[in-house]
Amino acid sequence: MVLNDDEHLRIKDLVVRFYTYEGIVRAIERANLQLRKGETLGIVGETGSGKSVTALTIMALTPPPGKVENGDIFFRKSDGDVVNILKLNEHELLRIRGKEISIIFQEPNAALNPLYRVGEQIAEAIFSHRLGEMLERAIQHLKREIKDGNGGFAAGLELWAYSKMLENPNSISLRFMRRLPIIKNIITRRLRQIVREEIIELLRLMEIPDPHRVVDAYPHELSGGMQQRVVIAIALSCSPTLLLADEPTTNLDVTVQAQILDLIMRLKQRFGASVIYITHDMGVIAEISDRVAVMYAGNVVEVAPVKELFKNPLHPYTKALLESIPRPGSPFKSIPGAVPNLVNPPSGCRFHPRCQYMMDECKHKVPALVKVSEEHQVACLLYGG
Amino acid sequence: MIRRALLLVPVLIGVTLLIFAVSQLFDPYMRASLYITDPRQIRNIEAIIQKYGLNQPFYIQYFKWIEQVLQGNLGWSQSARMQVLSALINYFPATLELTLYAAPLTILVGIILGKVAAVKKDTAIDHLLRSMAIIGWSLPSFWLGIVLLAVFYGGLGIFGPGRLSTWAEALVLSGQFKTYTGLYTIDAILNLNGTVLLDALSHLILPVTTLVIINVAVLMRVMRSSMLEQLNKTYVIAARARGLKERVVIDKHVTKNALIPIITLSGLLTASMLSGMVITETVFEIKGIGYFAARAATQLDVSAVLGFALFAGTLFVVANLIVDILYAYIDPRIRLG
Amino acid sequence: MLDRKVVREENPRIKELKFVLRRIRENPLSIAGLAIVIFFTIIAIAAPLLAPPITGRDPYMIPRYGYSPIPQPPSPKNPFGTTQGQYDLYYGIIWGTRTAYRIGILVVVASILIGIVIGALAGYYKGIIDEALMRITDIILAFPALILAMALAVAFGPGLDSITLALVLVWWPAYARLVRGEFLRITSEDFVEAAKAIGCSDFRIIFRHVLPNAIFPLIVMASLDIGSVVLTAAALSFLGLGPPEGYADWGQLISLSRNWIIGTAQNPFAYWHVWIIPGIFLFLFVMGWNMLGDALRDALDPMIRRR
Repeated sequence: MVLNDDEHLRIKDLVVRFYTYEGIVRAIERANLQLRKGETLGIVGETGSGKSVTALTIMALTPPPGKVENGDIFFRKSDGDVVNILKLNEHELLRIRGKEISIIFQEPNAALNPLYRVGEQIAEAIFSHRLGEMLERAIQHLKREIKDGNGGFAAGLELWAYSKMLENPNSISLRFMRRLPIIKNIITRRLRQIVREEIIELLRLMEIPDPHRVVDAYPHELSGGMQQRVVIAIALSCSPTLLLADEPTTNLDVTVQAQILDLIMRLKQRFGASVIYITHDMGVIAEISDRVAVMYAGNVVEVAPVKELFKNPLHPYTKALLESIPRPGSPFKSIPGAVPNLVNPPSGCRFHPRCQYMMDECKHKVPALVKVSEEHQVACLLYGG
Repeated sequence: MIRRALLLVPVLIGVTLLIFAVSQLFDPYMRASLYITDPRQIRNIEAIIQKYGLNQPFYIQYFKWIEQVLQGNLGWSQSARMQVLSALINYFPATLELTLYAAPLTILVGIILGKVAAVKKDTAIDHLLRSMAIIGWSLPSFWLGIVLLAVFYGGLGIFGPGRLSTWAEALVLSGQFKTYTGLYTIDAILNLNGTVLLDALSHLILPVTTLVIINVAVLMRVMRSSMLEQLNKTYVIAARARGLKERVVIDKHVTKNALIPIITLSGLLTASMLSGMVITETVFEIKGIGYFAARAATQLDVSAVLGFALFAGTLFVVANLIVDILYAYIDPRIRLG
Repeated sequence: MLDRKVVREENPRIKELKFVLRRIRENPLSIAGLAIVIFFTIIAIAAPLLAPPITGRDPYMIPRYGYSPIPQPPSPKNPFGTTQGQYDLYYGIIWGTRTAYRIGILVVVASILIGIVIGALAGYYKGIIDEALMRITDIILAFPALILAMALAVAFGPGLDSITLALVLVWWPAYARLVRGEFLRITSEDFVEAAKAIGCSDFRIIFRHVLPNAIFPLIVMASLDIGSVVLTAAALSFLGLGPPEGYADWGQLISLSRNWIIGTAQNPFAYWHVWIIPGIFLFLFVMGWNMLGDALRDALDPMIRRR
C-alpha cells in the first residue's frame, strides 16, 4: 500500500537536478514528505532550500533546465485512486493540474498574463475542467427560455450546439464552427454568460468588492492584494483537493498579508482542501500550520507538528532558525556562514559547515530522515539517521 | 497621443536641417536645381542664386529653402526630366506595390519561423533556422537579385526584370486599360484583366523573394528571442498549472506577449521598404522611387537625391510615430496606465 | 567547529574571459565564422604574394588583358577568368579583400572613436550637452543608412574615400548611443561616487573604470558591424558611387557582371564566373564576420548565458 488511508500526498526520495552552464545544481537530494488529508503542512526554509522547486514538481512543472532524476510522488485523487504524478503522461497531468492540485504564486502580478483581462484567465480554468457542468447549466437555462416562449432561432441553435458539445466534443461540425469567430461568438453567448456569472460569484467569495468591475479588469489595474485574490480564485475555481501556496503573501503589504492569509485559511475550510504552505516566515508557520517540514539546501531536515517543533526543535538548523527570530531586548542572532552553493554542495550533511554541533562523521555521512517519536522526524546524525 | 504627435515636429525639423546641411556640401551652381521648376530657368542661374540667397549665410538660405519645400517645390530633376515632387509621386506606386507584397510576407514568415525556432530550441530545426537566418542576412541583396535573375530569367527564361512584359506594358498604356492606383496588380483586378494580373505577379516573384530572404532574418531572430524571454515568465507556468494544453499556452499566451516587440520591428521594416528599396529596384529594373534615386545618384542629380532623402527621412519619422501609437494600443499596460 | 577555509577566487575579469572563450569554443557557428575570418585575413595580408601587382601601377587597379567587353572563362593565365573589359577576376578578388578590410576597419574604428568621444561627453556631463548630442544622433538615425550614405557619397563625389567618409558619418551615432548608455549605467553605480569622493579626476574615472566595462558590448557591436559596413559599401560601389571601374572592389566587380547574366544563346550560364565568384566572396566575408559577431553576442549576453 503506497499511501496510508489518511495520507493525501507522499513524496518519496525525490531528486531534482538543474543542468546549467555553470554545472549541475543539486537542488533537491532525496526529499521525503507526507501530507495528511485536510491538514495544513507548512514548509519553511531559506531561499535556495528547494521549497519552490518541490511545489512545482508536485505538479510536474519543474522549470527547465531542471529534471527530476529520481523519486515518486504519490497522490490520492478525489475519486480515491492513487497515482504517481511523476509517472503520468501529459494527458493525465492536464486533468490534475488546476483540478485536483492548484498553486498560488509569490508574485501575483507575474502570475497573470498582462494582455488578458482577469476574468478571461479565470474562465480558462473553468473551461478546461468544468465545461460539462457549465454546458448543462446553459442547457437548462435555454430550455426554460424556450419553454417560456423567449427562445427564437438563436436559442435553439445554441441548445443544439451545447448538446452536441456534451456528447461529442470533437465532432467535425463543431470544430468547423469554432474556427469562425463571429459564429463562435453567437453560439456561445449563453455559455459565456453562465461562466461569467460563475466567475463573479467566485470573486465575491474571494471577498473582492465590486466583482463586476474586477472581472473585466486587466491585471495591472488591480492592487497587489486584489491580484492575489484573483490568483487564488483561479486556483480554487475547480475545487481542488490540494492547494500549494508558494509564499503567497511575501510580496504584499503587511496589512494585506494578514487578510490574504486569513482568506486562504477560511477557503481551505470551506473547500475542504489540504494545503501545503511554503514560506520563510516562522510567524506565519506558527499561525496556520498543523505540521511543519523544515528544508535546508534541498533536504528535508525535520518534520513535526507545529507546537512540538517550536517547543522542542531537534535539528540544529531548526534551532538556529528559531533563535534567529528577532526578539525585543535580546541581541540579534544570526546563523553563521551562508547557504551553500548547490553545484558543489558540502559533503555529507549539507548543514555541517554552519553547525555548532558538528562531529567528524557529519562530513562524510548523509543523515536520513528518521522517526524520533510518533510524530517527529529528524535528519541529523545526533539522533541516529 | 497628441503629445506624441507634437514630438514629431522637432524631429522633422531636424531631418530637414540634416538634408540642408548635406546640401551645403554642394556648390551654389549645383544647388540651384533645388529651386527651379523648369529646366529653362537654368539659363538665369545667377538670378536664381540671388533670389534664393545661395551665397548668403546658412540661416537665411535655410528658411528660403524650407519655404520652397513647404510649397511643394523640391526642385527640378534632370535625370527624371520632371519636377522632383512629381517624380516622387510618379515613381511611388511601383515601390508601394513591391512593399505591399514583400512586407506582409516577410513579417508573416519571420513570425512563424521565429516561433518554431523558439519552441524547438536547441534542436536540429532551431540550428537549421538560425543558420538560414545568418545566411539570409549576410547575402548582398544586389547579388542575390542577380543570381536569381541569372537562374530564372537567364536560365529558364521566366520572371524577367521590370514590372511588366512588353505586351502587357503596351496594353496598360493604351486607352483600353484604366489606371486607378498605379499598382499594376490592383489595377489589373479592377480592370478584370487576368493576363495582366498574372504577368505583373510573375514579375514580382523574384524581387519579393529577394526582399523576403534578406529581411526575414532579423524578424525571425527577434521573434525567437522574444518568445524565449516569455517562456521563462511566471504567468506561463501559471497557465500550465491551470491545466491548459501546451499548445494553447504557447499560441494563446506566449505568442501574444512575444509579438509586442515585433510590432515595432514590422513597422520599421515596412517604413524602410516604403522609403525605397534602392538596390532591389535597381537590380530588377522596377521603376520605383529607389530606382529613381539610384539613377539620380549616378547622374549627380542633386535635387533628386536630396528630395528623395528628405522624403525617406520624413516617411521614417512618421512611421515611427505610427508604430508608437500602435504599440500603445496593443499593450493595455501602456494604454491605460 | 566552524570550518574556515580561505578560498582564493580568481580575478573576476579573468574568470569572465575564460567563460566567454569557453562559450565561443563550444559554439560550432563561431568556429566556422572564425575560420572564415582567418581565411580572409590571410588573403588580405598575403595579397601581394598571391596576386603580385605590376610594378609602377597602383596595386589596387586590376590588370587588364585586353579591351574586349566579353568576359573570358577561367584559364591558366586567369584562374578565375576575366570580367567585362578583360579585368583579371582573380586579381580583383584577392585585392578586393584588402579593399573590403580597409573600408570595414576604417569605418568601424573611426565610428567607435567618434562614438566614444561623443558618447562619453554626453553620458558623463549629462544635461544640455547630452540633450543636444542625442538629438543629433536621433536625427541621423532617423534615416535608413543606405539612403543617407548615398546622399553624402553623391555630395563628396565618387570614390573610395568618399564612401568611407559617408559611411563613417552614418555609422558613428549608433556607437555614441551605446557608449552613452553604458556611461549612464555605470556612472549611476556606487563605486563611481566613491571614486569621486576619494578625489579621482574625471579623466581617470572614465579610463580606468567606465571604459573597461563598456568594452564588451562595443566589441560585439563592432564585429557585427564590419559585415554590415562592407555590405553597404559594396552596395554603394554597385550603384556606381564608389571607386572607378578597374579598381579591385567586390561591389564594382558585381556591378560589372550585370550584363552577363543572360549568357549566350547556347549556354545561359556561359559567364557564370563573372557573376558568381565575386558575389560568393563578398557573401562569405560578410557571413564569416556575422557568425563571429553573433557568437560573441551570444557568449556575452547575460540572459542567455545562465541556461
